[in-house]
Amino acid sequence: MRWATRCHCHVDRAACAWLIRRFVDEGAEFVFVDDPDEVPADATPFDMQGVELSHHDGDCSFEAFLRRYELHDPVLWDIAKIIHEADLADELYDAPEAPGLDVLLRGLSLTHEDDELLALSAPLFDGLYEFKRRALLLGREPS
Amino acid sequence: MAGERASWVLLAYRLPREPSTPRIGLWRKLRRLGAAQVLDGLAALPLDARNREQLEWLADDVVQAGGEATIWIGELASAAQERELAARMAEAVADDYRNVLADVAAAHAEPQGQRRRTLARLRRELRRVKARDYFPPPEREPAQRAVEELASAVEEPVA
Repeated sequence: MRWATRCHCHVDRAACAWLIRRFVDEGAEFVFVDDPDEVPADATPFDMQGVELSHHDGDCSFEAFLRRYELHDPVLWDIAKIIHEADLADELYDAPEAPGLDVLLRGLSLTHEDDELLALSAPLFDGLYEFKRRALLLGREPS
Repeated sequence: MAGERASWVLLAYRLPREPSTPRIGLWRKLRRLGAAQVLDGLAALPLDARNREQLEWLADDVVQAGGEATIWIGELASAAQERELAARMAEAVADDYRNVLADVAAAHAEPQGQRRRTLARLRRELRRVKARDYFPPPEREPAQRAVEELASAVEEPVA
């Protein structure tokens, strides 16, 4: 399937792309556009104004994906809190990882094109997932 | 920067008078971003990708709450008006820095444990203020220094 989002990805879009490839559509292909009008007809848009898979009712797009695809994995919802705070910083959640993750992704967005940014950030999110998975099982942070 | 005008991203909006919750939510979010309220229903931020995106999300919120919203990109026609707007935004964050300074001054009298917690809170607050500080006022430097000094005071064992 093809998926479309705005170019110059930051943390929410990078995390959504990772989520799509890992949990929704393994063979996902991404298209980056400047304006919602440029979304190809066969692509599903996300993290753009006026689309379903985007910010709604105070949620960021990552949270919208979890709801839409009924991903009830508690590890993903833990990660969602971090993405929400990294993207919106509205202090709805306690996510001390958020400012660090935000800076890392913003830095990558300065030095890399969007497709490279997604390729580089995916292993980061894999690691974050594993860390949060173990933390949840152990009831404390893994070493 | 003589003759060079800054670009701004503007949110023009109209929200129903009732309910008031979306109006308050919007006001809070605009304040957190450091937006200048140009007029009732018109808020401005210096143009960059992040500010533009944040205002676009707020525009969506307004529409979802039954209002109308449009996003504009523009510049002020006169340098004097631009200076005035920047000065107004600087004055708003200067207030926030003065509050941090006052809190640091009060914290030096606190017992060690409480002072440590106050330090953590003031560091967070300083980070928030700096994130919305587009035209740094002279108060920024002393506020930063005061928080650093409080940090050193917390590190030192009580004599």
